[in-house]
Amino acid sequence: MLVQGNQAVFLGAVKAGATFFAGYPISPSSEILVLAAEHAARNSVFKLIQSEDEIGAVNAIMGASLAGAKSFTATSGPGFSLMQEAVGYGHQVEIPTVIVDVQRVGPATGMPTMPAQQDLLQAMHGSSGDYYPLVFYPNSVEECYRYTILAFNAAEESLSPVILLSDAFLGHLIETVDLEAIPVLYPPGIVWHEHNLDLDLVVPGGMAPLEIVSRQRPPLGTGQRAFTGLTHDWRGQQRTADAGVYREWLAGVKKRHQEIAGNYRFYEYIDHPTSDTLLIAFGIVSRVVRPLASRFAIFRPISMAPLLADELREYGRRFKNVVVVEANDGQYAQLVEWALRREVRRVPLLGGRMNIPLIEAELGRMGIGEGLSV
Amino acid sequence: MFKDLLRLELFPTMWCPGCGIGTLMSQVTMVMDELGLDHTNSAVISGIGCTGRMAGYMNLDSVYTLHGRTLPVAEAVKMVQPDLKVIVISGDGDLTSIGGNHLLHTARRNANLTVLCNTNEVYGLTGGHAGPTTPKGAKTISTPEGAAYEPLNLQNLLKGGSTYFYARTTVYHQFHLRRCVKEALAWPGFSFVDITSQCIENYGRRLGFKTGYEMLAWFREKYKMAPDGAESLGPFELGIVRKGQTETKDA
Repeated sequence: MLVQGNQAVFLGAVKAGATFFAGYPISPSSEILVLAAEHAARNSVFKLIQSEDEIGAVNAIMGASLAGAKSFTATSGPGFSLMQEAVGYGHQVEIPTVIVDVQRVGPATGMPTMPAQQDLLQAMHGSSGDYYPLVFYPNSVEECYRYTILAFNAAEESLSPVILLSDAFLGHLIETVDLEAIPVLYPPGIVWHEHNLDLDLVVPGGMAPLEIVSRQRPPLGTGQRAFTGLTHDWRGQQRTADAGVYREWLAGVKKRHQEIAGNYRFYEYIDHPTSDTLLIAFGIVSRVVRPLASRFAIFRPISMAPLLADELREYGRRFKNVVVVEANDGQYAQLVEWALRREVRRVPLLGGRMNIPLIEAELGRMGIGEGLSV
Repeated sequence: MFKDLLRLELFPTMWCPGCGIGTLMSQVTMVMDELGLDHTNSAVISGIGCTGRMAGYMNLDSVYTLHGRTLPVAEAVKMVQPDLKVIVISGDGDLTSIGGNHLLHTARRNANLTVLCNTNEVYGLTGGHAGPTTPKGAKTISTPEGAAYEPLNLQNLLKGGSTYFYARTTVYHQFHLRRCVKEALAWPGFSFVDITSQCIENYGRRLGFKTGYEMLAWFREKYKMAPDGAESLGPFELGIVRKGQTETKDA
């Protein structure tokens, strides 16, 4: 069937067991709100708030999660900025929920219908304080479905708001995909060395379905617990001037997130026997650079945070040139440089424009890949 | 016993001597006890500020939300758990200033919540800054020349809809306070109780009051009951105004 990226996100959320959506209309994510409204109209179990603003929406999904529902919201860059305070709140209070950011060109109102990948660092570090978010970024309609389900699982396991990145192209991309044929869940830790080379979205074989992770914490109204955004001890008692309590809590959360993240390290690597250049691209840009696999090796992170530093080092060290192609001004490239401890080349695709000639021209300017043809 | 609703092991509370919030907490828990509301059927959602800390002293599931965000959290909780009595307790700064937009729209959607607003006319926790409910001319640390603007008229704001419940009371008028809270809890829709209370340390002293008691005595003198059946409360009039009912979305 023909499915749109945003639609696949919504269907994935429902498949994962989501029963609550709150959102505020914003291009290019609005389809998800519309689908949620239609779904709520037909299913009394599914609750919806069209909030007065994104701040209301994100706090509503926090409340719904505490009340026992799997909840999510969808927005774009400016709305995501408004939600940032609550992202930190979700990490402090340890609330599982999912926030979908369908990125557009910013900053500010920017170019509302044009795709970008400029919220990458915002997704990792947008709120105040130290926290350890899990961030995924699929690159196809089918993956939008899969990774939404995985995002919900990761949220339940890590007890935190998990960010699913998309973009205006991916969100509005319509592809032929049989979602019914997809194993409900995707096993963690899988690596595709030879991913489907065509765009017909064949599901790689041999995947055992994974159980959906269900809610562990009893809902509000069943206990005598104090959920607080203040630093607190294990009883929920506020401890706002005790460095020991804070350090112990943060160390525990960090350890838990690192362990959980270890089960959610997703990426794709396409080898090239003779090339001396590795292209790194993710999200919709990885689809655009895909034809260049005949000339270069390609590494595609799907788990954007925590950073796949080991994998980047493992593949990066094999190549003379490492080029990060991304629809922002080097946000991921600077992280790759940190991971590899060496300079990497950047091809920023800005203003929502991304195509092969543009990328080839940039590579040519760097003297990379000359004399080869697609 | 209403004391069962309190975490007495955490006492003394963080509130200053002479503060009105302790009175509010004891009165609210007495009403809850009378109505059989406890951790098995109720949840308290509070915001940032002195009043917000009340949630942590109550012996039931509570959520201390981000500043101003009580209402979105509470509305979602009520939608997911319609059988739960969801009580929002927060200060006037939290509910009407930073949370003002949520107040407007949660009231418009007539979410089935009871909002208990501790109106002390000041940001007490941060040291006594003026807020949207500070009367014109009142001196605070952020309005050394006196507050420049008229305060927000909460009654008129909340009476904008086709159905509403607005009660005004004070922590001095304890019988009336309990009646207002009880009726608000029974109202099958969005109910708002505007509870004037005293902040002596960070507000009253700068206005010339010497003790919390002096502020309470001033409430006794200044505030009068509205006539029965009043459709609108005049300045310094206590009472309940309500209209409509009742079609709530989660009923």
